Amino acid sequence: MTKENMSFPVTKVEDTGQEGPIRCIFFSEFHPTAGPKITCQVPDNYISKDIFDNVSVYIIPKAQLQRSTITVTLKDYKILGFPIKIDNKKYARNAFYFNLCFVCDAEARTVHYEPVVKKMSDFLMALEVENCFLSASKNKTRLLEMLYQVMNDLNMHKMCTLTEGTMTSHLKVVRLAPEPKPVLDHQVPIFLEGREAFRSDQWDLTTQQVLPYIDGFNHVARIAAEADVENNLVKSCVQNLVYYGVVTLIPIFQYSNVYTTTPKLKELAKNIELQAQCIEYTSKSSRQPAFLRDIYRMYASMTHGNSIRDLCQRLNPQTLRINERKLIQFGLIEGLIRRVHKYPILLPDNHSEEGRNNPLYKYFTGSYSLDEICCTTGQSSAQIEDIVERDPSVVMLWK
Amino acid sequence: MEITPLSIILVKSDSKGDRMLFRYPHSTNHQRDSSQCLKKKNPYSMIIAEDSLQSIPFPNSTNDNLTGLSDEVLSTLFAVKPELCELKFELKVNDVRFVGHPTLLPSRGPKEINSSMLFNVVFALPAQASQSVVRCYYDLSKRLGIALRHEEKRCSFLTEEIKVMVSTHDEVAARSEEESDSDESPYETILQKSSLARDLKCIFNSLSTSGIINIMINRWIQVSFCLPQKVHQTHKKGFIVDPEIINQCLDSLRPYHGLLLLTEPMDLMDSLPTDHSPALCRLIQMYNPLKSLQTLALDSDLTLAQVFQLTGHLVYWAKATVIYPLCESNIYVVSPDAVLTDRMLEAFSEQFPGMCLLQVISDFSLPTSISQKLNPLIQPQQQTQLVKMIIWLLKNHLLLQLHTYVQYMPSVHGSSPVNTGDAIDGASPTDGLPDDESGAGLDESTWSLNSTLKGTPTESNTDMPQEKRDDIYSYQSDTYPSDDIILLERLCRLGYFKGGHHLEEIMYLENIRRSQLLQILDKFRDVLITSESEDPAMALFYSQRAAL
Repeated sequence: MTKENMSFPVTKVEDTGQEGPIRCIFFSEFHPTAGPKITCQVPDNYISKDIFDNVSVYIIPKAQLQRSTITVTLKDYKILGFPIKIDNKKYARNAFYFNLCFVCDAEARTVHYEPVVKKMSDFLMALEVENCFLSASKNKTRLLEMLYQVMNDLNMHKMCTLTEGTMTSHLKVVRLAPEPKPVLDHQVPIFLEGREAFRSDQWDLTTQQVLPYIDGFNHVARIAAEADVENNLVKSCVQNLVYYGVVTLIPIFQYSNVYTTTPKLKELAKNIELQAQCIEYTSKSSRQPAFLRDIYRMYASMTHGNSIRDLCQRLNPQTLRINERKLIQFGLIEGLIRRVHKYPILLPDNHSEEGRNNPLYKYFTGSYSLDEICCTTGQSSAQIEDIVERDPSVVMLWK
Repeated sequence: MEITPLSIILVKSDSKGDRMLFRYPHSTNHQRDSSQCLKKKNPYSMIIAEDSLQSIPFPNSTNDNLTGLSDEVLSTLFAVKPELCELKFELKVNDVRFVGHPTLLPSRGPKEINSSMLFNVVFALPAQASQSVVRCYYDLSKRLGIALRHEEKRCSFLTEEIKVMVSTHDEVAARSEEESDSDESPYETILQKSSLARDLKCIFNSLSTSGIINIMINRWIQVSFCLPQKVHQTHKKGFIVDPEIINQCLDSLRPYHGLLLLTEPMDLMDSLPTDHSPALCRLIQMYNPLKSLQTLALDSDLTLAQVFQLTGHLVYWAKATVIYPLCESNIYVVSPDAVLTDRMLEAFSEQFPGMCLLQVISDFSLPTSISQKLNPLIQPQQQTQLVKMIIWLLKNHLLLQLHTYVQYMPSVHGSSPVNTGDAIDGASPTDGLPDDESGAGLDESTWSLNSTLKGTPTESNTDMPQEKRDDIYSYQSDTYPSDDIILLERLCRLGYFKGGHHLEEIMYLENIRRSQLLQILDKFRDVLITSESEDPAMALFYSQRAAL
């Protein structure tokens, strides 16, 4: 099985706005006689003087707003700055005001640039305090070079190293992703890319210990037991990997599981690239790949009330050269199918004798899925289903 | 919640300079505001209680958010340059995002020297508020600006109100100078004196609670506004419906869809403003969840386009949702994000005495249609109750309707032929294949390819290699009745079997009966693969992310 050339697109979680490139970087200062002005900018004259005058109140603001990230959105531009004031008797007005601003398109997201602007402003401030880098007027060509370098490097490589004299600063744009949900015991982490695609030595020690046990079949509690790492550590480790899009979480595989198709399934019939990926991932052997139609039929037959066991008995994936476990994994990762969970619920106001004695009953509230209950109590799903079957006061909700 | 405003602020700027006129909530609520804004610094880090070194106290955010900013600072920020007037104003300072529409008032008559005045109704939002939320707030600010400008023109309402506010500010400032210990806020007094301030307070409160604003400014001009992200929460907690989602749903609206009012028709009629459209009234009178939009249009004597627009309006204001009209063959299943609260259980048993919501809904764990639940012995009143219960469940988004989609896969490699020659090898000698089944499948696949060929020669020419076509002609349709093949070929040609159209849609568009369609599906089940899933347009109102 060749995993190297497999690549799943990382699922887009961003809902609003796109990350746009930096269009312009300018350095503005408060001139003792001329007032707020742009000292230098790359590319030249991107922000005209008229536009700057309109917003100068947000760029060189009142004292209370110094050292705040201020973003002002105009019709065509979004200007992000971090105004700084340096108090010193040597300056004409006893203080030097400046602001380094990034300009992006009006509809682009700029939140991820905020730490960069802040760090670079602090770097410039340090330079100014050290050797009057900013206020000495002859030095502007060097500053211009610097702005040019930052804009180019950040747009191209998302990172940049600035060196001036003895001082160095490293700037990096970090992609902001929404906060991942808490990881639960019964969830199974699975790699979105081939495990070989990234080096494990760049991760922390705990992650390094956990990584070998992430195989798309072990659930979190089991990984914790096998890797001999504390359960909560594994959870935060996996959550971290989810944040960086290295792994995603899928439910435990069992033959009693029920899955159902999503409207995305039709993509599989259209998208040739996805088809190739799917065939490669789900075939039992790469020498004799499975047929797409058989794979599609397997997916399409998944519906409420059809467990994987039923499907296997009916369609016999072994003779179709399909590995049903990988079929499920691929479907879940690509969102072609989704799991139908079972939730046992105890009906209100008729508590049976068993209900009072059996400790399992406290989980029958409708907020715990069967997987969760099995994982916490160590019972098999068949045992619990048996209890639900026998007691008419407990109903099973599939959703 | 990222959609609740932090504050509403009114600022003016004229020849006498800029001035903060009113803000709500003011100082008394500062404490609450700051706690709302306070977010954990790194939410992914594990919080270990005993690890005292790690627990650096979070910087007190009163200094760096809205409450730390004085009125003067805010008023200079919001009193924009004339060039930025009548445009969207959006400013983010640390964790707070300010949105407004600076409105310019033209000078009143040539006599007055102090020419124009600017005012700005600004909403302060948490910075995490999404762009669509910001757009909605901007729209509200713009509406208020237009209404206030109109009132100013009519009876200089704004000038009077500003006068009251400014004088109160000055009085309080003077008083606090006299007795330095008094710490009274001018805003309390303004609230008592000014009706505009009360309106702004009322706007803030309705934005934080219901999301629907319906006020009369100066008891004359009506401003109505709906914050969809908030309004839809009353029907579904924690699920944010952006206007984009609603538009997407309305784009995929079809005449065969139906309307499901979320409130009682009579209540809806009562809640309409006095100048509502008579067309809407007619639509509501004719409303029935069993009718499709097309039938509704006919019954209420409106054009279909008008019914679509009214539907869009009702959906936006969270008064209705779009469904497929109720009928016996509809298949329902529990929606993946159904959350059953105690309040729901009570409401259900109140509406349907003696019934338990859990029991009723667990019957839908497996896909169930109304006709399956009916039997010849059932009483007519039980039948109506069943329909009523399904409507109730649909209103509360507890049920999801499943549709059958059809995918046409003529060859084992899907609809697109693979040029490796595998398909042809498989079809002629079967020595390369381990089982005869797939060989047989190929034979059948060529049947339907054959029929497609007759209908659309040009299309097939491009799709198929030359030698394969010759193969296909050798199989003639002897066993299949030609009617079915013709129908299959037509439906394929029209693109209905690409997984994008459900059976009901095909029936509607092609005017054929379900039995005919099912017959085709059964006959050609080797090349037509059916799958069951929800209508993507309707599913927009269900949070799929909760399902995983």
